Amino acid sequence: MLDVGRHPNIELLAYSEVEKVEGEAGNFSVTVRRKARYVREDRCTGCGACAEKCPTLVPDAFNEGLRNRKAIYSLFAQGIPSTHTIDADHCRQMNGKKCGICAKTCQAEAIDFDQKDRILELNVAAIIIAAGYDVFDPSQIPEYRYQEIPNVVTAIEFERLLSASGPTGGHLDRPSDRAIEADIEEMEKSAGKSQKALVKFEEKYGESSAAFYEKYQSGAYPDDEDRKKWADKYADHLTVVEPLEALRKKAEGFDVARRLAFIQCVGSRDFRFYPFCSGYCCMHSIKEAIIAHEHGPDTTSTIFGMDIRAVGKGFEEYKIRGGNHSNITYVRGRVAEIVEGPDNNPVVIYEDTRERKVKRQEFDMVILATACAPSKGIAALVKTVGVELDPYNFLKTSPLSPVDTTTPGIFVCGCAESPMDVPESVAQASSAAERAAEIVFQTDLIKEKAVA
Amino acid sequence: MSKDILVIGGGIAGMQSSLDLADMGIKVHLVEKLPSIGGKMAQLDKTFPTNDCAI
Repeated sequence: MLDVGRHPNIELLAYSEVEKVEGEAGNFSVTVRRKARYVREDRCTGCGACAEKCPTLVPDAFNEGLRNRKAIYSLFAQGIPSTHTIDADHCRQMNGKKCGICAKTCQAEAIDFDQKDRILELNVAAIIIAAGYDVFDPSQIPEYRYQEIPNVVTAIEFERLLSASGPTGGHLDRPSDRAIEADIEEMEKSAGKSQKALVKFEEKYGESSAAFYEKYQSGAYPDDEDRKKWADKYADHLTVVEPLEALRKKAEGFDVARRLAFIQCVGSRDFRFYPFCSGYCCMHSIKEAIIAHEHGPDTTSTIFGMDIRAVGKGFEEYKIRGGNHSNITYVRGRVAEIVEGPDNNPVVIYEDTRERKVKRQEFDMVILATACAPSKGIAALVKTVGVELDPYNFLKTSPLSPVDTTTPGIFVCGCAESPMDVPESVAQASSAAERAAEIVFQTDLIKEKAVA
Repeated sequence: MSKDILVIGGGIAGMQSSLDLADMGIKVHLVEKLPSIGGKMAQLDKTFPTNDCAI
């Protein structure tokens, strides 16, 4: 990423979209909209002081909503370019409220609330589409109860939980436990506030709230307005403190997830959604199980799948290594249903096709290996650029020219073409780069011929 | 006639294409929808089968 940001031959147009494409191979005119960041790129140093002070919290899409970010943010810590961006939908100042704290904090004077979108005209010889994919939304599969059972997560959410720079710092804290911890924090804040109010009364009347409340309830101080306020405050305080204690006790027993279940083919190889194999998910689950085992040596993982497709250099060995050294058990069978058991533990109901038995097994967390779905914006993009899609909404190519789209001079690589893993994406990207370069060098040849 | 190339998408595929072209001496315009490049790969902790860091 850093190389891309630094390369003198690459003009990085982040936070931009292609609006119009005209022309033909060798000569395309392209209109690009550079969306307003409301932060001046030439001044922002990416120090992050603005994000520290910003009072508005927004669910962080980069961390799959498992953490909050601010209304002024950089997508992630190592993001290139490091220029911060104001989220105009959530920023208080942009929505007519008084704020502007970021502008006051910024020493580089980079904040510009009046910035407008800029339109850029480019003239290019060829276009490469590398628009990527979207993760399948598993809430479309009712029997897996994603979002109903908090400890059922997607593979990419699990990836963020495993990451040292993620919302849990790499600890496998279960989402249900994290929700309770967030509740405790919220209740502690409110209990702290009411405690402060009670202390004032206690100092004024020289007795503890508990002792006073007992007397008050037995009928002392009938017409005392001030003491009535005190009693009401104390009653409110009790409604927070009592459940808070119960939750604290519960939270003492919280531990990281140690029993993991990975469910393969969630959305893929499924005639209700995508009949194709997404290709990378088997390896992705094995990798996550191995990394989870590295984090906690007593972690055990069970991978439920119709078969494990470890097709690639070193992949089969990786799968076997996982089984031998990382406590991974491979179960052949498709999971029928996930239900919630005691302690927020998901229970997986499946048929073990080797033993021909229907079984139930309880886990700490279930990870869904979600399908590689075509990106939502692709239909609009191909309309703008002028290429065709295949029936699944990936870009149409032919087996003998896998990076050529239906329009000459426009090429495709990565998951916009079909589901693929990182090594394949890289190989295809180099291939598309070479095909695009051919057009550039061809225009040179034509010129040379004309001169000769 | 232009000698530049437009790459749409700043994930692993778009970045690799851009770098290859730029190393050949071709001017590349890399358009990314989000505020930073990296795409889905940047969300990954490690990559298989070598468990290398994704970023």
